[in-house]
Amino acid sequence: MARLQVSNLSKWFPGVRALDDVSMSVEPGEIRALLGENGAGKSTLGKIVAGVYSRTRGEVRLDGAELGEFDEKAAGDLGIGIVHQEGSLVPQLSVAENIFAGRQPTRWLGQVDVRLMREKARALIAQLGVAIDPTMKVTFLSPAQAQIVEIAKALSRDMKLLILDEPTAALTLTETEKLFEIVRRLARDGVSIIYVSHRLAEIFALCDSVTVLKDGRLAGTRKVAETTTDELIRLMVGREVHLSRSASARQTGPIVLEANAVSAPPLVQSASITVRAGEIVCLAGLIGSGRSEFCEAIFGARRRKAGTISVGGAPIDPQGPWDAKHAGIGMVPEDRKTSGLFLGMDLVNNIAATVLSKVSSGANFSNTKAEALAGSFVDELRIATPSVRKIVGELSGGNQQKVLLAKWLAMEPRLLIVDEPTRGVDVGARSEIYRLLRGLAERGVALLVVSSDLPEVLALADRIVVMAEGRTVGELPGEGASEEQVLRLATRFTSSVAEVRKEAVGA
Amino acid sequence: MSVVQVSQNEVQAPAEPRESLLLRIVRRLANSRELTLFVLVVLLALAMTIIYPHNFPTGPNMRAVLLNLAPVGILVCGMMLLMIAGTFDLSVGSTLALSGVWAGVVAGWWGWPAEAALAIGVVVGAVAGLINGLIVTRIGINALIATLGTLTIYRSLTYVTAGTGVTPISDDFAEYGRVADPLLRIQSPFWAMLVIVLIGGWLIARTRFFRQFYFVGGNPRAAQLSGIRVDRLILIGFVIMGALAGIAGVLGAARLNSAVVNAGVGIELKVITATVLGGASLKGGEGTVLGGILGVLFIALIENAMIINAVGVFWQGLVVGLVLLFAVSLDRFKTAGRG
Repeated sequence: MARLQVSNLSKWFPGVRALDDVSMSVEPGEIRALLGENGAGKSTLGKIVAGVYSRTRGEVRLDGAELGEFDEKAAGDLGIGIVHQEGSLVPQLSVAENIFAGRQPTRWLGQVDVRLMREKARALIAQLGVAIDPTMKVTFLSPAQAQIVEIAKALSRDMKLLILDEPTAALTLTETEKLFEIVRRLARDGVSIIYVSHRLAEIFALCDSVTVLKDGRLAGTRKVAETTTDELIRLMVGREVHLSRSASARQTGPIVLEANAVSAPPLVQSASITVRAGEIVCLAGLIGSGRSEFCEAIFGARRRKAGTISVGGAPIDPQGPWDAKHAGIGMVPEDRKTSGLFLGMDLVNNIAATVLSKVSSGANFSNTKAEALAGSFVDELRIATPSVRKIVGELSGGNQQKVLLAKWLAMEPRLLIVDEPTRGVDVGARSEIYRLLRGLAERGVALLVVSSDLPEVLALADRIVVMAEGRTVGELPGEGASEEQVLRLATRFTSSVAEVRKEAVGA
Repeated sequence: MSVVQVSQNEVQAPAEPRESLLLRIVRRLANSRELTLFVLVVLLALAMTIIYPHNFPTGPNMRAVLLNLAPVGILVCGMMLLMIAGTFDLSVGSTLALSGVWAGVVAGWWGWPAEAALAIGVVVGAVAGLINGLIVTRIGINALIATLGTLTIYRSLTYVTAGTGVTPISDDFAEYGRVADPLLRIQSPFWAMLVIVLIGGWLIARTRFFRQFYFVGGNPRAAQLSGIRVDRLILIGFVIMGALAGIAGVLGAARLNSAVVNAGVGIELKVITATVLGGASLKGGEGTVLGGILGVLFIALIENAMIINAVGVFWQGLVVGLVLLFAVSLDRFKTAGRG
């Protein structure tokens, strides 16, 4: 009988189908990889099985028994544990308290038996082949140690099924090896493992079988011994929808942005890029590869430790976004709600925010000028709004995104950085935004676009620069590039870079 | 409250094909906190005129009301600016006392000219504000804790500086707080407040520089990424707040010809109450000086009604507290209506 059996599982978030009719089963002692691109639904599936999310539809069986509605605590009682990607430890508490959170051994009158708890914690950690002082506060641990404590926490109860969600993101190569040993030992003891990852090398090194998800759907399940990297990549990316590239070849002008060996630790190690006038360069890479952080460093929103940046041949040293703005750089941030827009304000004020001097007469802010400016953008970008005085928070996602673009177009940038231009935007608005970006390039603006959406990268880019582990690791011409090529660059360097990082830490 | 209800009903009523100009103006102003407050203030004043015809609408009473609201009115301009930027300053009462006492020491004990004493008092206030701003922006301590700390520190410095205070200061110095206009015979603190409110109101409503504070309060991260120097603006806001507390402090000391070490105790509550009542959102990004000063007027009238009624001083705190809660619940109501 299968240890875990999920059938026809679906999960709908407002407006998004994160999982659509997925079925899979895992045997006792099996190490199953869950593979997919960013947003393919692999973490969602793991979280449903662990009781973190409730499912919209479908069933989950553990050792043949249907689980019904259950939460994370109920899942833990049944023997399903999860090690979270983002960490679920309380930094102010000790290692032992974190491991036994809510289940501390007690003496009379419910007093926590501190000594027993520490001993148990010490034994658990030792079982993983490492030594961490259980009285130490979690805040003083290294990311790798914290990850081990997370695993110890999951193992503090009898496990039948352990879900590991991107556990190696913060680990060096040797630490990863140690983790693999632990996982293999658990599997030998009959624990089933679901290993969520997008690192192909790890899957071939560790797992017995692999289930690939794509856009929330099941793309296929394979035995690791019987598959190849090429087949897995095809399963991950092979999609029917292809966004068309624009036919016209643009003339590119002189170099506008030249960034060389920019480092902004910890997420940007050494990244270089050039962008020419009239050129759209897409920065591709996995989540956490440092793309957005690299852009923030160029824009002065993140402290740069080393490297040079020049705009139009003149070196700049932006201390803050105001300096970059002065040099003619605009940046449309990734998260329009938290960092892009003033949701409680109207279109006029949002669009005027970057160009206050342009919409003023002398010292006075001119409502007339600001309204005229906003009005011209509403027409140009076809923003659907009853009035320029509409509160931006009340607009649809696509229209909000256009307001955000307008805000930066208003300052007439030489270089526009756009981080995730179409996140949470419907298909119609998406093609309009592409049209807009291409139009900007035709007018000679240099565009640097960050995108996690590979079809988008392939549709937009004149040139694709790929980042991995904080470094720019490769470059492809946009014309004729395939998703496979991009993904291979984005994943190829992960292990070697981990070694470099380890050396840097050791030095 | 009934007035608010009526005007909102008018807004929701189906639009007439041809709308009179008056109706359009009412419609446009009905959603504004300033208009709501203005109507409340007028109604309160009318009611008091009818109920207390011999006590309320008299020259001496009016002069007393306007003179007493002067310090709060001066402070509300700075507090409004800070709250628009999404922060606030609890130490204003202590800053006010510290400034007054330093002006008193300079003029009274050292015998310096009155003008120098006034200037030094204002500078002391601005420096106190600068320290608040540096703690909030450079060290990154939140405004509540930072200014709660300086509230006690500045008060303590006031005691250290002058013990029980400076009384009397000097006649020259006192003249600056007592000179009155020939027509209405209201003393200078009121006129100083009026000038500050008018200039402050214009600056905050109209100028490009102060417009940036709305962006800072609306979404600090987005403001930063729009190239607005968020920390620098907040620092400037605190310096302005401190300087205004300094002006209120020296004028108060001059009017009494006495620098009192307990001046301004608890005034921060009244100022924040008026600011929130006047339309500042606790999340920042909203508010006008006009609203703030109407909030001050509203509180002043309520206090005056209690004084005329001979309601004990002890009850005043209760009413001011209730008014604050009323203001915050208006804020929540507004947010809910929008969401």
